[in-house]
Amino acid sequence: MTLDTMIITMSAGMLEAMKIFGLTLIGSLPFGMVIALLKKSRFAIVRGIISAYISIIRGTPLMLQLLAWYFGPYYLFGLNIGNWRFPALIVGFIVNYSAYFAEIYRGGIESIPVGQYEAAEVLGYTPTQTFMRIILPQVIKRIMPSVTNEVITLVKDTSLAFSLAYAEVFSLAKQISASQASFTPFVIAGVFYFVANYLVEFIMNRIEKSMDYYK
Amino acid sequence: MILQMSNIRKQFDGLEVLKDISFGVDSGEVVSIIGPSGSGKSTLLRCATFLETIDGGEIRYMGEAAARTDASGHAVYVSHSELRRFRSYYGLVFQQFNLFPHFSILRNLTDAPMEVQHRSREEAMETAMDLLRKMGIEDKADAYPYQLSGGQQQRVAIARALALKPEILFFDEPTSALDPELTGEVLKVIRQLAEENMTMVVVTHEMSFARAVSNRVLFMDGGVIVEQGSPEDVFGNPQEERTRRFLSVFER
Repeated sequence: MTLDTMIITMSAGMLEAMKIFGLTLIGSLPFGMVIALLKKSRFAIVRGIISAYISIIRGTPLMLQLLAWYFGPYYLFGLNIGNWRFPALIVGFIVNYSAYFAEIYRGGIESIPVGQYEAAEVLGYTPTQTFMRIILPQVIKRIMPSVTNEVITLVKDTSLAFSLAYAEVFSLAKQISASQASFTPFVIAGVFYFVANYLVEFIMNRIEKSMDYYK
Repeated sequence: MILQMSNIRKQFDGLEVLKDISFGVDSGEVVSIIGPSGSGKSTLLRCATFLETIDGGEIRYMGEAAARTDASGHAVYVSHSELRRFRSYYGLVFQQFNLFPHFSILRNLTDAPMEVQHRSREEAMETAMDLLRKMGIEDKADAYPYQLSGGQQQRVAIARALALKPEILFFDEPTSALDPELTGEVLKVIRQLAEENMTMVVVTHEMSFARAVSNRVLFMDGGVIVEQGSPEDVFGNPQEERTRRFLSVFER
């Protein structure tokens, strides 16, 4: 196999990795906020469930969770779902990353001084207006560095899809490396991940800079 | 009566902070509340502005009850949406300013009028610029709070409260977080508002200011109003031993 074909084959794999990456972000960034807000629920039972969920997700390997989502329906419930591989991956990633984002959001929300809520309340803002107009914009600015960290980790974590034999760039690298007895595919994969994260860093820096106008 | 608080009781974890306090504010009155820290004066203000809920008693604005004691002796508030309507009757200036850091000065003044009171952008902008001019900081309209001194921030906070055109303005130790050389500019603005007959209640440690500006002075200690009257009476001829002891500290 020539270098060209390797790169072309693996580019398709990188595209798959980016699909996992994009869908996970689209799902977990908002879902994480829902989790963060539920963790502050009035109902102890809701808070308890959310705490347990976050504990389990953070306390077990993502790879294991992916396997559980993929094989769980069959081994636990005898269900045979067609084409479940990719959906299982995405569900696993979203459920996992939502837990981490939820904790980042919660930290951000709790770091906003109570005076901001009180000022908004006295001015007559509704709780929803207060959150959307006053609290959330400040939270986003504060959590950007942590979110960037998480997003960069996600780029690399897409490689865990190989545990479900999903043909993303890392799985392909392993396959080609074994069949061609060559280390080159791993080098290519490394370059792909690095370039992707370089891009992520660049974009996230731009977003952070755009919020530099206040302190 | 713009504000009437009757028989207000408030506890924090079993500690009685307000013990059956009653007081009212008439239109155009400037009332100063003085007293040692822990006397309950800030709590009284926070109860008047619904930041704390009272355990018993009655709060009325413009004659309308926002909270009243039911048959079982517990205070009951009107609904949340009703309370929001009551909030348009008053403004509150905090010790720590609590400006919105992500909004420009102008936006700090226009956002609530537009979002809460649904005023037009033109009207909100005009009101805001008038207020900034009055506060002497119209050149800061496009600045952000972190770029302003404490005294300027507090003047913006006063303007922000006034932008909603309240009937009464509360101040919770408005100069306590300021460097001494910056208190003057804030007190000057409050004095100017008093001259325009703005109804105000000021919790303060600035005795000479309270004496010069207010129509009525309340001395609070231990969760009760120990003494009240004209500034001449309370400062010049205090009747209660506790008032005398408190004031003597400031005369030294």
